[in-house]
Amino acid sequence: MATLSKDKPINIAIIAMGGQGGGVLSKWILSLADSQGYIAQYTSVPGVAQRTGATIYYIELFPAHLAEQASKKPILALTPVPGDVDIVIASEMIEAGRALMRGFVDGNTSFIASNHRDYAIFEKQEMGDGRKPVDEINSLAQETAREFICFDMDAAARSVGSVISSVLFGALAGSGALPFKRADFEATIAASKKAVQANLKGFELGFQTATGKRVADNSPVEKPEPAQPYAATVAKLMVRMEREFPPHAHFYIREGLKKLVDFEGTEYAALYLDRLTQIYAADKQAGGSNEKWRLTTDSARYLALAMAYDDVMRVADLKTRSDRFNRFRDEVKAEPDQIVHVSEFMHPRLEEIAEILPIGLGQFMLSSKIVRKTGSLFLNKGRRISTTKLGGFILLYALGRLSWLRKYSLRFSGENQRIESWINTIKDAAKGNYSLAIELASLQRLIKGYGDTHARGLRRYSVIMDLYREIKDDADAAPAIARLKAAALKDEEGIAFAEALNTFADDETQPGIEAQVSPLIPAQ
Amino acid sequence: MAERSFAKEVQTLKLGKGAEFKGEGILAVTKALLQSGVSYVGGYQGAPISHLMDVLADAEEILTELDIHFEASASEATAAAMLAASVNYPLRGAVTWKSTVGTNVASDALASVSSSGVMGGALVIVGEDYGEGSSIMQERTHAFAMKSQMWLLDPRPNLTSITDMVEKGFELSEASSTPVMLELRIRACHVHGSFEAKDNVRPNFKLRDAMENPVRDYDRVVLPPSNFVHEKEKVEQRWPAAIDFIRKNKLNEFFGGHTASHGIIVQGGLYNTLMRALAILGLADHYGETDIPIYCLNVTYPLLSDEVAGFCVDKKAVLIVEEGQPEYLEQAICTILRREDVTTKVRGKDMLPLAGEYTGQVVCDGVRKFLQAHAPELVETSTVTGFALPEDAQRTLIETVPNRPSGFCTGCPERPVFTAMKLVQRQLGNIHVSCDIGCHLFSILPPFNIGNTTMGYGLGWSGASAFNTETSQRTISIMGDGGFWHNGLTSGVGNAVFNKNDNILVIVDNGYSAATGGQDILSSRAENSSKSTKNPISKAIAGLGINWQRTVITYDIGAMMRTLTEAMTTPEKGPKVIIAESECMLNRERREKPIRNQRIAEGKRIVRARFGIDSDTCTGDHACIRLSGCPSLTIKDNPDPLREDPVAYVNNDCVGCGVCGEVSHAAVLCPSFYRADLVYNPTVWDRFTNRFRGLIIGFLQHRIEKRRAKFSFGDL
Repeated sequence: MATLSKDKPINIAIIAMGGQGGGVLSKWILSLADSQGYIAQYTSVPGVAQRTGATIYYIELFPAHLAEQASKKPILALTPVPGDVDIVIASEMIEAGRALMRGFVDGNTSFIASNHRDYAIFEKQEMGDGRKPVDEINSLAQETAREFICFDMDAAARSVGSVISSVLFGALAGSGALPFKRADFEATIAASKKAVQANLKGFELGFQTATGKRVADNSPVEKPEPAQPYAATVAKLMVRMEREFPPHAHFYIREGLKKLVDFEGTEYAALYLDRLTQIYAADKQAGGSNEKWRLTTDSARYLALAMAYDDVMRVADLKTRSDRFNRFRDEVKAEPDQIVHVSEFMHPRLEEIAEILPIGLGQFMLSSKIVRKTGSLFLNKGRRISTTKLGGFILLYALGRLSWLRKYSLRFSGENQRIESWINTIKDAAKGNYSLAIELASLQRLIKGYGDTHARGLRRYSVIMDLYREIKDDADAAPAIARLKAAALKDEEGIAFAEALNTFADDETQPGIEAQVSPLIPAQ
Repeated sequence: MAERSFAKEVQTLKLGKGAEFKGEGILAVTKALLQSGVSYVGGYQGAPISHLMDVLADAEEILTELDIHFEASASEATAAAMLAASVNYPLRGAVTWKSTVGTNVASDALASVSSSGVMGGALVIVGEDYGEGSSIMQERTHAFAMKSQMWLLDPRPNLTSITDMVEKGFELSEASSTPVMLELRIRACHVHGSFEAKDNVRPNFKLRDAMENPVRDYDRVVLPPSNFVHEKEKVEQRWPAAIDFIRKNKLNEFFGGHTASHGIIVQGGLYNTLMRALAILGLADHYGETDIPIYCLNVTYPLLSDEVAGFCVDKKAVLIVEEGQPEYLEQAICTILRREDVTTKVRGKDMLPLAGEYTGQVVCDGVRKFLQAHAPELVETSTVTGFALPEDAQRTLIETVPNRPSGFCTGCPERPVFTAMKLVQRQLGNIHVSCDIGCHLFSILPPFNIGNTTMGYGLGWSGASAFNTETSQRTISIMGDGGFWHNGLTSGVGNAVFNKNDNILVIVDNGYSAATGGQDILSSRAENSSKSTKNPISKAIAGLGINWQRTVITYDIGAMMRTLTEAMTTPEKGPKVIIAESECMLNRERREKPIRNQRIAEGKRIVRARFGIDSDTCTGDHACIRLSGCPSLTIKDNPDPLREDPVAYVNNDCVGCGVCGEVSHAAVLCPSFYRADLVYNPTVWDRFTNRFRGLIIGFLQHRIEKRRAKFSFGDL
């Protein structure tokens, strides 16, 4: 019988996305171990996985003095085996989930992960919100690992102008999972001779947070209460809100009022409250007090969005504001005094021009072939308008000042007709089916974007509204509408939506309905 | 210039006898080639041996000093044919490529050189692209070794074994007049480790000696009657010679105990995985000590009947750990044992999965199952039961963890080609798209979902050649510049001209063989001191007789859409080629970024563009993402508390290629995109105009702010 030695390697798996610093981190661990008298073996899978895919770097470290004592060479593995990994490092939260899924993390594993998100294309491409929740990953990691060190290492790295690998390396040092001293880790960074100062700062942050000397800033920021009282001009609206509506709805109503006063003035904001009053009345009748006034609350949100639609004046106004100027400087990481020129990608079509004109003129423009033809000569092509230069700024500034024209416009009249009919439908539904009314209110979510995107959303909205009249008395009408809404947000081509509609296909007219419904503004 | 530079690492190739070499597997292989006295080296890049080609390219100076000729071959077929130099002369040569795809391409020449037989050692280093990280169909190189009778080495995955086997491979090749294949799995190619170096060897017989004193031997030419003689030679002389050499030099290894009633036969490349599995089961230690007898096949073809039978004869059962299918080794071992009348039970693919990579977990499970059947007392003592999360946790994770399919890099010039194609399909209806091999194949994945088939490197247009008939909807084929020069020029473009094809080819010309790591090719615009570049594709296809050709800058999505539409709808008959041209952004940034930073540091005026999205006007529909898929175009929480859907957002990786802005123009998306030009080291005039504009703009903005402040809700 052979006597089996108890000597064993330290196994480290790094789960990262290609080009996300996994390679740099591996090299650091490798040279650290090498300098500390360890036999180190490292493998990875470059190749197409490197082009934005998820990839695993795998390292095994074996104490050289043990091998010398045994006068043998250790046999090191090239891939991690579930249950046999001592340290798992994930450079992003979904990748942490992937490490768990592959079984690399068990009760003996030190698990280090950054909880920031780098969204996968499947999450990004959805028309609604396709983001995956990570709470379950977090709690599974807590339950499974021997120790779980997790904080936003991406933000930490950026705060000191470093990259995530330095913070991960610091957290690894802080975890104490490797038998090396902090100074040795830092010497490794220094020896690499690349961005040493920034990387040492990143390392420091990682180390301090992992050892608990610094509290990770993971808690959501609490919104401070308004510092000043509201202005006298909006006092009437705010008083009405406080008197006439339940506190549950106040947050959204206040946000709604803010948006609408900004959009079209206090009178229009008062109309918002009038309309919401109708819904609140229906809510009361339907017994909404037991439902925490969800219908009113949700409607407060969606009604404000519906009433403050995005037209040319609105966009022009938003583009020329000073806070927006500060924001883009911040987003592009401009130095405090750096000159930044900004140009906007605009593509106004005849429709967008017509809809802001007075009703008769707008309709004429859309129906006249000559206007369409001449219009398309000047419009229908992308334009870049520089808002940091005088010509471009003044053009948009002037357009933004035209909001007084809005209430005479073709779009305004169309939108408000739709809104009235939508409110009536919600009220109608609330009489018999509370959750159906809530679903109808949330259909506003389908209407967003500009141009074709807006037209498509509106089309699907109208199809569902039409279908509502047929199914409103069904017991499962609310989940049916919810299902249709989800399907409408699933894909652009309308495949999921058509499939969902087909489940109501006893009516022969359904399948082709998508094409039949006219957009808000009839294009002849 | 390739994506990764080995300029520093290649210095280790100069290490002499006794020095410790530390580095990556492929670098070690290069060192072993130099220690073996090769005269010529060639190959075609592709993962996992791309870096081997990059190392060789970066080591050209060292190679020249040693009188070694290195070629970046036009294709694997070219590389394989290069081995012809070893047929008549005592010249050692090595070639390398990605397998099995490269071996497919090379197999014509490989069959010929195997038939002729070699005088100088001929080594083919294949990167076996199988299992995790692989990008190709899952097949085995083993079949090629058997069909052409080339010996197949599969060394244990540590640098000492690998480099030893390179040197022994040349000797085996010469001893048996047969080309030898050395198989390296993906992770072995990239394993970092160490071995004891030897001195480099300068070949005694040089290429010029052969050229100046040519030898002609009709017996070595594959033509009747020599070809019939070759087949006899293979079985009567070369095979026995190889068997002799392998036995004498103990290329296969025996480990573990000698007395057990069961044993394991393993491919050398899987030895470490097997040993880890045994260690986890408590049956081995990490130095490889175990009571279980192990027969490690560092040569997987040919097998030595007496070694196999000798290992099996005193055992009740053996387990064969052999990755991939068909199970050639298992079949061969069964035949050997049957012929020798050995009744040992052979287990293999009945204990281990028939298909798929043999990871540590898979081998662990297989070995456990084998021992449960044939030595249950051993596994009973094992405390390890394998690790898995509870089922409901597993289910949650499957739902929460999305895949990350590969995609185009930030700023990639190929992305807008497929954006344009997606938009053109909206107008003209769906189009049959035949794809090729290269980064552009990512079009098949989200968010583009464009492409029907991919038949092989440079075979994009050939893959649609059947669709050459009267129709109202033409087909579009894709080909990269890499694939074009690899063989698409003849098998795609030449074929289309000759057969009067009426369809469309889009050649994505980004200036490099980009997917394999950015190596230069004929049409690269880069300066290359040792290769001839700047040979435009447009000239090549004009020479072949393409009359309808257009060159479009890929970033101009509008022009690309117009050109695609024209090609789809023009009444003009005949093959149509669109060259979609723009430099690979990875390469471009690598070159330009240091220059830009240096110029900024020097105080020169530089304007850097990048893009952004106004979260005020973005409504969170993400149409822009579905038409782009740029990694730097992502999402974040909607700052408007009333809206639920996340807004699109350009992160700081943006390289300012401008595609997102072009997309929003071409697809009439939304007014949210903006381009920001950041001015570094502004001139006096810059500062003056900026200040002047700032005053007026600031004044106007202040007026609005004042008005808005009147309607404050308290927190403006």
